[in-house]
Amino acid sequence: MSNEFLLSAIIFLPTVGALVLSIMDGGAEKALRKIGYFTTAATFALTLVLLAEFDSSVSGMQMEVKAEWIKNWNVNYQLGVDGISLTLVLLTGLVCFLAMLASDSIKKDIKGYLILFLLLETGMLGVFLSLDFFLFYVFWEVMLLPMYFLIGIWGGPRREYAAMKFFLYTLVGSVLMLIALLMFYFGSATTTSPGSFDLLHLARIGQGKVPGLVFSETLQMTAFVLLFIGFAIKVPVVPFHTWLPDAHVEAPTPISMILAGVLLKMGGYGILRIAFPICPQGAQWASYVLVFLGVLSIIYGAFAAMAQTDFKRLVAYSSVSHMGYVLLGIAVWKLSEGKTVGAEYWKMGMNGAMFQMLAHGISSAGMFFMVGVIYDRVHHRDVNKFGGLMGLMPLYGGLAVGIFFAGLGLPGLCGFIGEVFTVLSAWNYHPIMAIISASGVILTAGYILWTIQRVFLGPEYKGPHPEAITPILPREAFIGFVLLGFAILLGVYPESMFGLMRESINQLVNDLVKVDMSSLAGVNTLLKR
Amino acid sequence: MDPQTYQSTGEMLRNLLTLAWLLPLAGFVLEVFAGYWSHRLSRAAAYSAVFCIAAGFVCSFAALMYWGHQTHWSALESHASPADHHDVLKYFSGTYYTLAEFGKLRIAIDYHIDSLTLVMFTMVTLIATMIHIFAIGYMSDELTEHYEDHQVHTAHGHFHRPGRFYMFFAYLSLFSFSMLGLVLAGNVFQVFVFWELVGVCSYFLIGFYFERKSASTAANKAFIMNRVGDFGFLIGLMILWTWFGTFQFNERVESDANGRDVVMPGLFDMLRDDHGNVTVLPANDHDSYARVFLADPGHSGALKHEGHKEGKTMPYFLLVVAGLGIFAGCVGKSAQFPLQTWLPDAMEGPTPVSALVHSATMVAAGVYLAGRFYPMFLPEVLLTIAYVGCITLFMAATIAVVATDIKRVLAYSTISQLGYMMLGIGVGGWTAGLFHLITHAFFKSLMFLCSGSVIHGCHHEQEMPKMGGLIRKMPITAYTMLVGVIAICGLAIPGISIFGIKIAFSGYHSKDAIIATAMTFSQLNGSHFLLFVVPLLGAGITAFYMFRLWFYTFIGQPRDHHVYDHAHESPVVMWAPLIVLSFFAAFVAFKGEAGSLFKLLLDTEPASVAHGLHDVGLAGDLNFPSHVGIEENHKAAGLYALLVAVMGTTLAYLFYGARVLNPAEVKRQFAGVHNFLVEKWQFDILYDAAFVRPVHVIAKWFVAFDRNVLDGFLHATARTAVSIATLDRRFDETVVDGLVNLVGNVTYDAGRSLRYVQTGRLRQYVMFIVLGVVGIWIVMRLFAA
Repeated sequence: MSNEFLLSAIIFLPTVGALVLSIMDGGAEKALRKIGYFTTAATFALTLVLLAEFDSSVSGMQMEVKAEWIKNWNVNYQLGVDGISLTLVLLTGLVCFLAMLASDSIKKDIKGYLILFLLLETGMLGVFLSLDFFLFYVFWEVMLLPMYFLIGIWGGPRREYAAMKFFLYTLVGSVLMLIALLMFYFGSATTTSPGSFDLLHLARIGQGKVPGLVFSETLQMTAFVLLFIGFAIKVPVVPFHTWLPDAHVEAPTPISMILAGVLLKMGGYGILRIAFPICPQGAQWASYVLVFLGVLSIIYGAFAAMAQTDFKRLVAYSSVSHMGYVLLGIAVWKLSEGKTVGAEYWKMGMNGAMFQMLAHGISSAGMFFMVGVIYDRVHHRDVNKFGGLMGLMPLYGGLAVGIFFAGLGLPGLCGFIGEVFTVLSAWNYHPIMAIISASGVILTAGYILWTIQRVFLGPEYKGPHPEAITPILPREAFIGFVLLGFAILLGVYPESMFGLMRESINQLVNDLVKVDMSSLAGVNTLLKR
Repeated sequence: MDPQTYQSTGEMLRNLLTLAWLLPLAGFVLEVFAGYWSHRLSRAAAYSAVFCIAAGFVCSFAALMYWGHQTHWSALESHASPADHHDVLKYFSGTYYTLAEFGKLRIAIDYHIDSLTLVMFTMVTLIATMIHIFAIGYMSDELTEHYEDHQVHTAHGHFHRPGRFYMFFAYLSLFSFSMLGLVLAGNVFQVFVFWELVGVCSYFLIGFYFERKSASTAANKAFIMNRVGDFGFLIGLMILWTWFGTFQFNERVESDANGRDVVMPGLFDMLRDDHGNVTVLPANDHDSYARVFLADPGHSGALKHEGHKEGKTMPYFLLVVAGLGIFAGCVGKSAQFPLQTWLPDAMEGPTPVSALVHSATMVAAGVYLAGRFYPMFLPEVLLTIAYVGCITLFMAATIAVVATDIKRVLAYSTISQLGYMMLGIGVGGWTAGLFHLITHAFFKSLMFLCSGSVIHGCHHEQEMPKMGGLIRKMPITAYTMLVGVIAICGLAIPGISIFGIKIAFSGYHSKDAIIATAMTFSQLNGSHFLLFVVPLLGAGITAFYMFRLWFYTFIGQPRDHHVYDHAHESPVVMWAPLIVLSFFAAFVAFKGEAGSLFKLLLDTEPASVAHGLHDVGLAGDLNFPSHVGIEENHKAAGLYALLVAVMGTTLAYLFYGARVLNPAEVKRQFAGVHNFLVEKWQFDILYDAAFVRPVHVIAKWFVAFDRNVLDGFLHATARTAVSIATLDRRFDETVVDGLVNLVGNVTYDAGRSLRYVQTGRLRQYVMFIVLGVVGIWIVMRLFAA
């Protein structure tokens, strides 16, 4: 397969699967599921082909595709992959495959479910691979609708509320993004050429590399705020996070896995791919707020998780806490008198943030899956009404504790590297913030261990349906082993991921460092007082 | 040693220790999977674990011997301090693999091998092997499909479960791997990694009987308390990382991709010069902080940099904070004041765990790190370490006096002894502190195993008031225990020596070394006299509570005949390790400070220690003793310590051996004090009120904030939108539609009424036309004007 075709194939293979499903008989459940497995597995295999074809020593975009789409507005069908998107594409392929395997518990209207699931996958892959802002926006919206229906139809008792909340929140974000998109489009127009949606071109303008064309400081600040709020809702960053617990609690298990494992990463990805490169001045101007919000999310999410009694809500808040490290790592861009101080520490923070996204993709998908396994059996999620599962389901207990420890940030498992690297990079930016973020390790240990104690330890199960507790199925164990295996691989040999994304991230940092910040220094000193 | 020999020696040592390190990991994987899918009656897991750790011991010991051979045992011969010769590097270090690299910043999995590493490896693997063997016997009741847990009550009586024999050994193997990794680590980040891993192993092992609420709570407490310390550790790491840009202990030369030699900087070499001195630049007009100088090894281009160096400076207080932060980690791990409360609760774990993890190895890791990281500690930090150790050793000793659970007495004794080690390191007795670490590991693991043997023999009875007279039932246990007790109390026969060798067990030598250092320190710094008085007093208390334990358990008439009648000596698989360990507990420190163990450790002693320090610290008023100074006080200190220990022993004998004095009487007299001690100085209550409950309250606040404020705002917005929409609809329906309808109606009505004008009469129409024309004319005239 030629490389030009590969990216499109990755994006649209799930759509093809969905099309095949749509012409099949809705009653042939087994055949439908098989198509589902096959499509996600094949997509994951294609992402692995992409990995094999990828050259990690190149910092820029690879396998670029550019075709005219809407000529009047200069919209192109433009795709490309670099270290930042590659790792997330791999994560998407993996998590979708595993979530598909975990979909056996879905019984209602399986055909519709599978079609929407696959469309969702197309949307997510498209977001990570598109280089045209308009195309990005389209994929962003494409992903929104299936999610709405997947929660709203296959969800729990309060599914309508949760789906509506998710939809409205995300829509607000989309609208803000749309405004920024138009600002860039018209801002990049010159007398000779129309405006552009090309993210790479826009980034060059934003970084002052295109002669005679600049995004003014005001534009950058405004656009950055709009974009940031749009993406922060997705991450989610406190205080834009309250859709997340509800969406997770109501969503069926595989959808929770995708939501936590992949969807949240789109926020972080958007910040890295769009907000920072195009609006460096805006990003630098807002960095204090970003770092503060990151630290706030870490602490706030951890505290809130501690007080939950609903197992899924607890894991959802832990996501808020863990994604806070992502924002922290991205934003530790220290400027002093117009010059960047300790760019290497910022690189470390950025790399750590990216790693944290991958690690969280593995560990949170795993945690939600583990909650789902027990929910499928006893049909409740009250943490106080479990107990003794380690004795009753030893293999399940072992896998679950392993994955929860990955979330706790135990060295040797994936969560540790992301957390500790971002925290270590933060002192250079602001010691107090670094100390507060480091205190998260105590709170995280607190709520995770307390949960483990209440759910897995103790002599006996205290909730309803004790007769339904049966040993973990081979299919479930397989998913658990794969996730735990990746958690260990990433934790023991993080260079496997850093090696892929380092060049791209460092290039981004180097580009941003070169941007002239002299006019901004005044603003920053004002903020510091 | 020429460079080539140096390199080949390093490779050989690395290979041996790597094998010793990784074997238990392989064992863990094998045991956990094979154990799960095989039947519950198999001892295979135990054999695998024993094999791995025993092979690890063989490798470690071989490495030690090989190292000695290659260095011609120069460490044992020379009486000179290590600072005096520089031609040979004392350590072998290198990288296994890189975790991540960002420009000049690099974090890797390294190794660092010197005599301390080798001694620690040999000690850990030896003790672990003995404990593994002991555990085969101790844990044999887990070899069943229906283990009955007498401490867990369910609605159907006692709790039953399949045995978890294999899991226990899998955890032990994982622990051994983590502990050895910690010792082998070549950078402080890696120490942190394995630091957490030993922590989680400890969590699993404390919570081995996880059906018991007390066990799972104790496991949580241990992990979380350790994390509190690790929070400090992390702060220390952040500061070092930001200012030094490396985590490596010592610098080393590596070849880069082009084959050129590159100096990888090391923390110690950046901070200290060849003589171990720190350059402090006092505060001046330009700079309100005092600063320390950090050398940049990149400019020197060679390992040994002489003369002037390029570099930068960092604030003095930040380095103090960094040191305190790292030490906070040590405080958590080694259960020092104020994070000591987890260790006694950790006794919920099976006794072999208490012996291995919670006395000999893991809890000593804090002391090990304090020793390893010694060059980074500024005098203020050392003083803090000394005081923390001092408070801890006293507090824990007093609690041990009133504890009645045999394992808890030993647990408090462990805390107290760790306090001694910290004190030793803090007052400048680097070798003395680590010396005590090694000797303590042997006698304390011995005593824990003895207590395990007692507990096993008494069918899981741990309360000493139900024991007594057991020496008749289990003589081997009793006498090996006595060896341990004598060792920890530091008893010796003064004045008499055979061939110039003192008749004393290991604890005498190591405690003596610490007290001598403390005495010298307090002579040099008069205001810190407590650092000498308290440990001296502590030696007496130690002797008292240890002999109290021994007399209580083994001597006199049995107090509970039910327990006594069923008591029996343990099988050979359990008492054989006791014999081996008691041999080491007695003789590991053979010849004391002239002996080989002390000399081996001395070989790694940081350069700044030997000659002492004068007028250091920011205030310039701290002095640290030199070897010569300590030597002068040695005799006196040894005598004082012995005197106090004998007094303690005598008192214990009168109370519990001869039973001449009645402890109940004393208890009544000092009821308040006794209560305070039984309540462990009330720390648990304090922490619960000060931290645990507030955290839960804050957590509830945050959730309420989410529910009420954030979601409240959202819902209010939604409601507002809905009511605006409703209003809009009503406006549409009444006002807009009303207007439209009104217009329609008016038009219609007007039409209807105008209908009557359509009469069909021609004359009337002409009149309308005329009137219209006149009207238009008037209007036009008006506008024209």
